[in-house]
Amino acid sequence: MKYPLLKVEKLSVCYKNTDALAVHNLSFALRERESVGLIGESGSGKSSLALTIMGLLRSSAEVHGSIRLKNVELTCLPEQELENYRWSKIALVFQNSLEVLNPVMTIGEQIAECIRRHLGLNNLQAKKKTTELLLMTGLDPLWAKAYPHQLSGGMRQKVLIAMALSCDPEVLLVDEPTMALDAANKDEIIKLLLSLQKEKGFSMLVISHEFPVISAMTSRLLVIYSGNVVEEGNTQEVINNPMHPYTRGLVYASPAVNPYRDMWGIPGEATMPSENQCSFLNRCSQRIDRCACELPVLQTVCEDRRVACTRGGIVTLLKGSSLCKCFHVRFREIMACSSCDIEVKAGEVTALIGESGSGKTTIAKILAGILHADRGEVFFQDRKVSGNSETSKRGGVQIVFQDALSATNEHFSIEEIVREPLDIIKWGTKNERLKIVKEALKNVQLPSDDLFLRRRAYTLSGGQRQRTAIARALVMTPKLLIADEISAMLDPSTAANLLRLLKGLQIAQGFTMLYITHDLALAQKISDKVYVMSKGKIIGHGPVRNVFRENRSICLG
Amino acid sequence: MKYAKLLKCIRKIPGKLRNFNIFSAYGKIGFVFVLLMVLTGIISVLFMGEAHKIPSGASLEAPGLIHPLGTDDLGIDILAQILHGAFVSIQVGFFSAMLAGIGGSTLGILAGYCGGWTDKLIMGICDVMMVIPQLPLMIVLGAFFGPSLRNIILVIVILSWSRPARIARARVLSMRQEGYIIAAKSYGAGFRHLAVKHFIPGILPIILVSIIRLISKAIRAEAGLTFLGLGDPTSKSWGVILNRSINFSGIYYTDYWKWWVMSPLTVLILLVLSISFIARDMELLFHNKGDKL
Repeated sequence: MKYPLLKVEKLSVCYKNTDALAVHNLSFALRERESVGLIGESGSGKSSLALTIMGLLRSSAEVHGSIRLKNVELTCLPEQELENYRWSKIALVFQNSLEVLNPVMTIGEQIAECIRRHLGLNNLQAKKKTTELLLMTGLDPLWAKAYPHQLSGGMRQKVLIAMALSCDPEVLLVDEPTMALDAANKDEIIKLLLSLQKEKGFSMLVISHEFPVISAMTSRLLVIYSGNVVEEGNTQEVINNPMHPYTRGLVYASPAVNPYRDMWGIPGEATMPSENQCSFLNRCSQRIDRCACELPVLQTVCEDRRVACTRGGIVTLLKGSSLCKCFHVRFREIMACSSCDIEVKAGEVTALIGESGSGKTTIAKILAGILHADRGEVFFQDRKVSGNSETSKRGGVQIVFQDALSATNEHFSIEEIVREPLDIIKWGTKNERLKIVKEALKNVQLPSDDLFLRRRAYTLSGGQRQRTAIARALVMTPKLLIADEISAMLDPSTAANLLRLLKGLQIAQGFTMLYITHDLALAQKISDKVYVMSKGKIIGHGPVRNVFRENRSICLG
Repeated sequence: MKYAKLLKCIRKIPGKLRNFNIFSAYGKIGFVFVLLMVLTGIISVLFMGEAHKIPSGASLEAPGLIHPLGTDDLGIDILAQILHGAFVSIQVGFFSAMLAGIGGSTLGILAGYCGGWTDKLIMGICDVMMVIPQLPLMIVLGAFFGPSLRNIILVIVILSWSRPARIARARVLSMRQEGYIIAAKSYGAGFRHLAVKHFIPGILPIILVSIIRLISKAIRAEAGLTFLGLGDPTSKSWGVILNRSINFSGIYYTDYWKWWVMSPLTVLILLVLSISFIARDMELLFHNKGDKL
């Protein structure tokens, strides 16, 4: 095992003037020749961490905890001695901007100054070294005579890299190396840094909010939120299968990870880290009461993965294991589904795709408890689903059927249809029920005035009936909505609005959806995970981008 | 409060009357005739006292100004008898049809909803009832229970509940597959909710048509039974009038049959015909989802 080169333990950084806690009890280790990524929204404390490691925040912030480089405790060193470590052992590639470089000095002078101060070389040697560095980063040495404002963004980034590498450091902190660069330049900088690392053998801590950069440059990833590490693990695995709601939110917000999907940010504002509650509490879609009482610590949830969540990461909401169902039709047995395993995680849209007759609807009905499986069991939030045990209460499972005309009684008024579940479970008073009904109708973009509420269902169009059925499911505030081809009857505009609405509810309330469809384009657009079904068997599953890449032929065939 | 509700109902009547136009011409005629029969029946019971029992003229008078339909062999006014008989016929028709319709459809809903042995049992009895020739059974039952209006109603109900039961069961069976029933069950709805909210409103139109058809069947059956002497001989229903007139020896040798036999027969035919017209119109209306009703 490689010895940790840089070890940060229980580091807290608090800015003196604002009392803002930028980094909170953060620990991690960086081994030799390793590159670790640090990802998080802006303001999550990434840059503060880099500056603290460099010892640049000593005057403006209070720092607690330890930062050890090999065996030297950096936080205890006096400023004078720290100077020796800074740049020569640990170097920082600053965030690229004009302000970082001195506008009245040429590039060459600025790099040479750095070399002279830390390596004690004379002018001539420094100049020679500068030329070498510029060549190393792929810049023409002629640029040494240029002023910062004469350089392009990509070139300036290279100059910053050259400066950081001027003293051959052992640890390189890279802060947003590709910010505001175009795709070609980004690629070039990433390749440059990787090849330099190979050549010089330094360790890298890459700070970025861009998944492609992190993914290309690092092998391990730390996800940081409000100064706390919330998830840690292998970079590829974290991106493919995020286990903390925050990480998932970041992944979903990134079009680079999933080009087909809609982008949705994490709602809400980041709050100050606190000692006795989860800092992600107010934006988390799966919070429970306990989250407000204790600060989650990083815990190992599986091999090479640690998550800081009171609930142990994203919870599995619905789990069906080895489900079998056989229909007997006129002396023939039709295996509608055989040993199907399906798992739906909280706050995700899971699509179940397959040609018609592949057993999708059967699975949906078994999962909702409408059909009884011949074999296998369904668990919702670790409770066994039997009959209508989960569909007959608020906050449970709801299913919306494919055929809206049959799903709503045509002689009922709109109000009666939407209110029916509440009437059955005898929830609240009459006025409370009416309020919820109106809200649900508004949510599905139907009018909620008295005239409309009194209309009979058969006066509505198919699409309106479908939305009424969805409103009926929504009044039960389901945690999981099983939607069986609900957009098949709708016109494209209404379908788009409805799906965006459901997606919005999902982001805001952590509502989970199992979407059953044969529309592949739609599945790619809205879903996070995909299960592919064919002839009663599940033949593939995973993140939507992987499934569509790997099983292209299956999906299309 | 109740008064206000009543006022509201009364105010709605003109609107309902406009809906009268949804009936066809035959339907309207039928409706008016049935209404007339009901009213005359009520009027005769309330205001005409003993007119149908007490002789008021010479025996076997031809129709004239005082006795518009003549008199019978005892000199009792035939019109008075027919008007009073209308009350009996309508009473029998209404009650037996209602009982058979409600009872039959309840059994049908139970059979359709519960399935299994309940279904088999109810439908088995139903099949037996449909296979047995009705008239002989009616005669046997009528003789067995003894002559009274209540027993006639009972016999008719026993013989006619199977049709609404089958209709209701078939409809409930098909409704059970509908998404809205599955959804309601998934919300935890019990039989009561399903029956009150879904099944009964769902089968009501077809059951209503079937009840109206049953009314005319019951009126015919009552007339038939009493004509055969199995009804209540004191009820003065149309069947009794017919029975007495036909049994009058030598009725066809004279002209007496022209008013004594024909008049009860004509009203009977007209009433049954009118009800059939209404039933046909209702069927068409419900078929076209007559929400206007």
